[in-house]
Amino acid sequence: MTHTMIRRQRLLLLLVAGVLAAGCDSLEQNPVATSTKDAVFGSESGLSLYANSFYNWMPDANNITQSESMTDYAARRDVPQFIRPGVYNPRVTDLTASGQYEVVTLGSNPNWQWGPLRSINYFLEGNVDADVPEKVRNNYSGIARFFRAWFYFEKVKRYGDVPWIDRPLAVTDSALYGGRDPRTLVMDKVLEDLDYAIANISATNEGSRSLITKDVALALKARVALFEGTFRKYHPEFGLQASADKWLNESANAAKVLMDSKRYSLYTGSGPTDSYRQVFVRDAPITQEVLLTNVQSTALAVRHQANWIFTSATTGVRFSFIRQFIHTYLNIDGTPFTSTAGYQTKTFQEETKNRDRRLSQTIRTPGYKRIQSGSQIPGPPAFTYTFTGYHPIKWSVDDVAMDGGSLNTNAVHLFRYAEVLLNFAEAKAELSQLTNADWALTVGALRGRAGITGGLSSLPTVVDPYLQSVYFPGISNPVILEIRRDRGIELAMEGLRFYDIVRWARGSLMEMEWRGIYVPQANTNIDLDENGTPDVNFMAVNIPTANRVAGVTYLLVTGTDFKLANGTFGELVWRNDIPRKWEQKNYLYPIPEGDLLTNPALKQNPGW
Amino acid sequence: MRCTSLFVLSSVLVLCAAAPSAAQQRETGSISGVVTDASIGRALAGARVGITGTQLGATTNADGRFTIASVPAGNYAVQVRMIGFSAQDRTVAVVNGQMATVNFQLSTRAVVLDEVVAVGYGTQKRGSLTGAVDQVGSQALENRPMANLTQGLQGVIPNVNIRLLDGRPTQAPRINIRGTTSIGQGGNALVLIDGVEGDPSMVNPNDIESITVLKDAASAAVYGARGAFGVLLINTKKPTRDGFSITYESQYGRRTPTVPAGYVTDGYTYAKMFNESFFNFEGTFPQNVNKTQTFSQQYLTEFEKRSKDPSLPRVSIGPDGQYVYYASTDWYGLLYKDQTPTTEQSLSVSRSTDKASFLISGRYLDQPGLLRYSSDDYRMLNMRATGTLQLFPWLQMNNNLIASNRKYFSPVNVGEGGGIWRNIADEGHISAPMLNDDGTLTWSGAYTVGDYYYGKNGSGLTRNLVRNTTGFTATLFDSTFKLNGDFSFQNTADDEKRRRVEIPYSRSPGVIEYLGTATNDLRNLRDKGGYLAGNIYGDYHGLFANKHFVNVVLGTNYEQSTFERLDVTRNGLIFPDAENINLALGQSITTGGNYEKWAILGGFYRANYNYDERYLLELNGRFDGSSKFPSSQRYAFFPSFSVGWRPSREKFWKIPESIISDLKFRGSYGSMGNGNINAYTFNELFNITKSGRILNGIQPQFTGAPAVLPDGLTWETVTSRNAGVDLEMLSGKLSFNGDVYSRRTTDMYTIGSTLPATFGATSPRGNYADMKTNGWEATLAWQDRFNLKARPFGYTVRLTLSDYTAKILKYNNPDRFLSDYYVGQTVGDIWGYVTEGFFTSDAEIAAHADQSLYRSHSSGKIQVGDIMLKDLNGDGKVNPGKNTAVDPGDRMVIGNITPRYTYGISLGSNYRNVFVSTFFQGVAKQDWYPSPESNAFWGQYNRPYGLVPSWQLKPGMIWSAENPNSFLPRYASRLSNNAAGILRQPQTKYVMDASYLRLKNLQVGYDLPARFSSRLGARATRLYVTGENLWTWSPLYKYADNIDVENATAPSDRQFVGNPNGVNPSGAFSDNSGDGYNYPMLRSFNVGATVTF
Repeated sequence: MTHTMIRRQRLLLLLVAGVLAAGCDSLEQNPVATSTKDAVFGSESGLSLYANSFYNWMPDANNITQSESMTDYAARRDVPQFIRPGVYNPRVTDLTASGQYEVVTLGSNPNWQWGPLRSINYFLEGNVDADVPEKVRNNYSGIARFFRAWFYFEKVKRYGDVPWIDRPLAVTDSALYGGRDPRTLVMDKVLEDLDYAIANISATNEGSRSLITKDVALALKARVALFEGTFRKYHPEFGLQASADKWLNESANAAKVLMDSKRYSLYTGSGPTDSYRQVFVRDAPITQEVLLTNVQSTALAVRHQANWIFTSATTGVRFSFIRQFIHTYLNIDGTPFTSTAGYQTKTFQEETKNRDRRLSQTIRTPGYKRIQSGSQIPGPPAFTYTFTGYHPIKWSVDDVAMDGGSLNTNAVHLFRYAEVLLNFAEAKAELSQLTNADWALTVGALRGRAGITGGLSSLPTVVDPYLQSVYFPGISNPVILEIRRDRGIELAMEGLRFYDIVRWARGSLMEMEWRGIYVPQANTNIDLDENGTPDVNFMAVNIPTANRVAGVTYLLVTGTDFKLANGTFGELVWRNDIPRKWEQKNYLYPIPEGDLLTNPALKQNPGW
Repeated sequence: MRCTSLFVLSSVLVLCAAAPSAAQQRETGSISGVVTDASIGRALAGARVGITGTQLGATTNADGRFTIASVPAGNYAVQVRMIGFSAQDRTVAVVNGQMATVNFQLSTRAVVLDEVVAVGYGTQKRGSLTGAVDQVGSQALENRPMANLTQGLQGVIPNVNIRLLDGRPTQAPRINIRGTTSIGQGGNALVLIDGVEGDPSMVNPNDIESITVLKDAASAAVYGARGAFGVLLINTKKPTRDGFSITYESQYGRRTPTVPAGYVTDGYTYAKMFNESFFNFEGTFPQNVNKTQTFSQQYLTEFEKRSKDPSLPRVSIGPDGQYVYYASTDWYGLLYKDQTPTTEQSLSVSRSTDKASFLISGRYLDQPGLLRYSSDDYRMLNMRATGTLQLFPWLQMNNNLIASNRKYFSPVNVGEGGGIWRNIADEGHISAPMLNDDGTLTWSGAYTVGDYYYGKNGSGLTRNLVRNTTGFTATLFDSTFKLNGDFSFQNTADDEKRRRVEIPYSRSPGVIEYLGTATNDLRNLRDKGGYLAGNIYGDYHGLFANKHFVNVVLGTNYEQSTFERLDVTRNGLIFPDAENINLALGQSITTGGNYEKWAILGGFYRANYNYDERYLLELNGRFDGSSKFPSSQRYAFFPSFSVGWRPSREKFWKIPESIISDLKFRGSYGSMGNGNINAYTFNELFNITKSGRILNGIQPQFTGAPAVLPDGLTWETVTSRNAGVDLEMLSGKLSFNGDVYSRRTTDMYTIGSTLPATFGATSPRGNYADMKTNGWEATLAWQDRFNLKARPFGYTVRLTLSDYTAKILKYNNPDRFLSDYYVGQTVGDIWGYVTEGFFTSDAEIAAHADQSLYRSHSSGKIQVGDIMLKDLNGDGKVNPGKNTAVDPGDRMVIGNITPRYTYGISLGSNYRNVFVSTFFQGVAKQDWYPSPESNAFWGQYNRPYGLVPSWQLKPGMIWSAENPNSFLPRYASRLSNNAAGILRQPQTKYVMDASYLRLKNLQVGYDLPARFSSRLGARATRLYVTGENLWTWSPLYKYADNIDVENATAPSDRQFVGNPNGVNPSGAFSDNSGDGYNYPMLRSFNVGATVTF
């Protein structure tokens, strides 16, 4: 080897040694694509970023429009499993998955699911950074506590007693394996949260009607307190009747604050025949009446499927109203329809005339038109969809182009002023404190908007025997009866009905037979919308294809599932071949079996 | 690594630099000769000739001739090596200015103990190996049509486990070595391509020289934490040692699915069975067939009439003005082409001189897709350039550049967003056609194949890879010390362009509606991967007193990887064919990003000592640092050792070579950390995502509570023990290698025990679990030749067999709930009920234990023909007890999903110029319980509107009063899909035997005689035909002959669902459902030619 070679070799080794000594960093790596805790809790924008997540758990537009299919007034494709004897048990709890829509709750999952609560509690625990002004922190804590109240409200409605947890639990926390806290304790905490939210949320209201404000918190408080007050009052088996009035007062007071604020009013701008429906079919929420809504947008591709669900023969459960409920709509003069002689045998065309104008704005009635490519086409109740003839239109729009998918952009509301009025009226009536003036401001105003002419300014004094015997046998106070009537009508399909009948202890209404329009004679073409062309024919004997009229829906009423009450005439009867039973245990849902196994201290609800 | 350690290492090198050199300058001569096959006297091309202890060497040409120039004068040991032959040594004296001649006659040998095997940072002679190391040469992959290399590795090496999940060309599963690794962080084999971590699916299979597997801790320890579960070393071909060669290979073929789709395609039969299954579960008649068809009893009657009278039209208009269909549609016929062609062209050019060498190769692979519409075309380009430059006699520079480009089109379904197979099961009703008479799509069509027919929805996927390694080897200190250094970079770019537009369809004449309106958008996703690696290591060897051999390798390694993602989606395409995001004008804009970086730094060593190649000792270790761990846990040391003894080299060994020619016992022990975790696992992460809601006019971003982090995390430890034996008998004709091992993975980072739901989050992970994987593998090879009509007939047989089972030793589940892992569990166990049979009478139903938890009818009613589950514990109730291993109710272990006794059989023979080889691969034992949603297995027992697998209509399959001993129970839907459905409960009768034997490859070739080849101007010409997946046997096919057995146990397809890279952010293929909704496995048949100039 030459000296040059040796020199070069040594140079190489020194070079390598130098490289090695230089390679001592880079093992400290921190995430850059995610935020840190300090950044989240250290600024208002961070708090807002986190608080946005709470909204994800609110019921969305589809939840609200579809969850109504488990109500007493809904006929649908199948009987809900929940009330089929022997079918529902602690093992079968996830029914939303199999199309058995139920009332949805915060968290979009009605089951024993607690993720949202942890996230709220984590936020409340972390929201203490002194760099953020206290007022700002309290605003966001107020929003978090609003959602915690809502979360617990839904849990208590469904399960009764539940564990109260107000911190993000550690793995070792013994509270994980604790039993359930009594609903009295939990509901008091809910009230505390709501009061905190009302006191600390900075926005009173805001224009988009999509954010939580002080007013929304008040509206929730009125709803929660009315539920709890009436539940305690009408469920003596829980032994909490003594505290019912306290809750009714809380409800009335919260509603009163909103009423006195004069920030909201009923929308009447489109007259008695259209104002009510406009509230539900417009893209931009009518801010004078709507407090919180699910905003949709074509541009942002956020849409719901109400038209699809309420027109499709195949998608969804084919929700239709039953006739017993349609009967509760008053005549336009304010008298009960069911006091009219022969009301039972009135045809669809007859019974839909001269009624509370909300009827023609809730279901398809003669005169209802649909829009196709900009022009009006007939819109009779479609028997490819409805089982009873009472075809809902409340959330669906007239344009048929919206029917085949998730295309709706009309806002679907979570809180509406009409409910606040009804909450106030009911709470006051239950406290026997409702005055004529209150009546005029609440139920009277709602009826007035719907074109009803009589009984708007003074409390009702006469018991409607139909309403009492069919719906509320235990109630003899005509004011309460009438408030319940209007609550059913005004708030139909807004996601509140199931727990209304639960709190009134009227679960057995779920057993009502699913009856439809009165058909005077089978095998006759019927022109439902009175436009001169027949729409449907109920066949007691099969009419040969050759003899059928184009455009008419022919339906056989000879099966076990679909028939006429008297064979060849009478009310339509749908699906009375499947037994249904409401039992005492149905007032609370069972704890899912798997969760009981993990924590036996929870104990099962009675009867399950 | 602590900087002090590096400092020590660099100091050593400085001292070396300062050391005096004893080298002297010398004069040179040359060596040449011919290498022939001893048994038949034929010249051997491609044999390696090397001068022991130097870098000098050559490769024989087609005439078997070699020349080594510029050899310093002196006495040398010259060694010839060639795969399949024994090595041979000769001593040669080289005189200045003269050519010494030495010829070799090699004899054949199945396993060549002197063969050099690639190991971590170096090579070792097979004879002196002590770790569990296996190697195959390029012959295992030659002439095989494969879309990518990973697919070709399946079954080739025992206990290198590759599960092909489906037949998609991009399918490249992770590679597992020796079974269940960790139920915590998981972990797969580290794959190194020429020493640098890489993706085998992007490598040109023709470039492969050899593949080595380092199976035990002792051999993988130099790779530290990433090698905890074995290492796969893929080495590419080097330039031929001398001369010039061009090889051109061309292949053409066609591919078809391995199993037919196998569903009933008669519309009326389908509708009738739909009605029956629906009624038999619900107790009522259906009003519609899922979403897209209305249904009634009149419709069914009408359908029957129309199906009996072909003159009646198959479409009419219903009372609502909508189409009513009476069709018989073969959806799978519309989905797949009957066959699809494939082409592969590759070229390789090599040239070497004593100063420099290069090899350039390229490949073009074109596989048009199997899908009839929106064809999933696949194309791959590979390019590679490698070369060396002898800068000085002691210093060689080398460079290796690899570039690949892959394109694939992956269609998506916008209707429901699921995979096409699931969508066909849900909405592809046999009774509905794809197209209306006016050419519009039907509603069923729009949800399924019609979307592909429309042809606008899908993802174009491109992957580009460029990597380069530059290195040097300095031979110092009289050739006893080699210093190696290399530096690599690799850039990968994955690009996805996805378009989803609404699909027009028609339910009434003249009325067009749209499906998928929520997804009218374009997505551009770019993933950029950057990778840097540098190694510096020294290698010293010395032989003392001709008996004591010492080899020490000492080095350091640094690697860093960065990953960056940009993901943009925008809606509102101005026309449905828009291709650029500029034409998306909607306001729904989703942007996403991601970034990950990790770095590792380690110092490693390997020290070998052997005494006369009789007593062998190896020490390995690495001091490793990883950025993935918090600073308190960042560094760890992983030592290991292995020993060997070759009694056949002892003086007392009297057994002649003709009986036992070599025998070696090996043993190893080592402990390593598992570094296979995601970066930032130990940080509280606040992910930011776009909200689905409109709040104050926009869809804002949001974040939420991070996953719960536990305290006190540490590395998972992997401790492995290995014992092996290598045996060579009958003068090398028969060889056997066997290993048994035990691998304990302790402190596994697993999810904590199931917490009550009130915890509100996934139970945090911690170092909670221990597991033991025990297994063994064996290879038996036989190689011989004999004369047939005075010409040699050579043949080889190679059998491989391996097995493993894993048991949980510790888990944070004190009550041993079966919903979690539990102590004592054998991984993969299926708990289930015992099927007693079907009820035969009402009296039997009344007398039987209460099984009302499970449904055969929506009302809970049990009827004759329904499944009877055994009341194992005799408590009068069929139930899951407390769902614990202690009280499993009436359940027991009824099977195991782990593939057991995985085997491979290779047979090869050659006679005259013809060669035939076959490769069988199989699994001898594996159970499969069809998933709840498996339409391919359950048919309408799953969902009433699902397709009916034809095999269910074979006699004896479906229960009836006349056929009470059938395979399946009373025909009723929802039994597998309903949460309480009785078939959803695993039970003995439906545990399917998913073992199989598959003829993976068969090839027949012909080498043109030299005189014909030379007329073409070529040195050698080979023609061949080859096929993959030509034949399969499986007990499963007695029933579900419509599901490829390898598909059956695989999770359902994710790619066509919109995760085209097969990876979703939360982890790939997390849904291990086994439902057969997969891209079909493919059978291929190719012809090819290879010409060498």
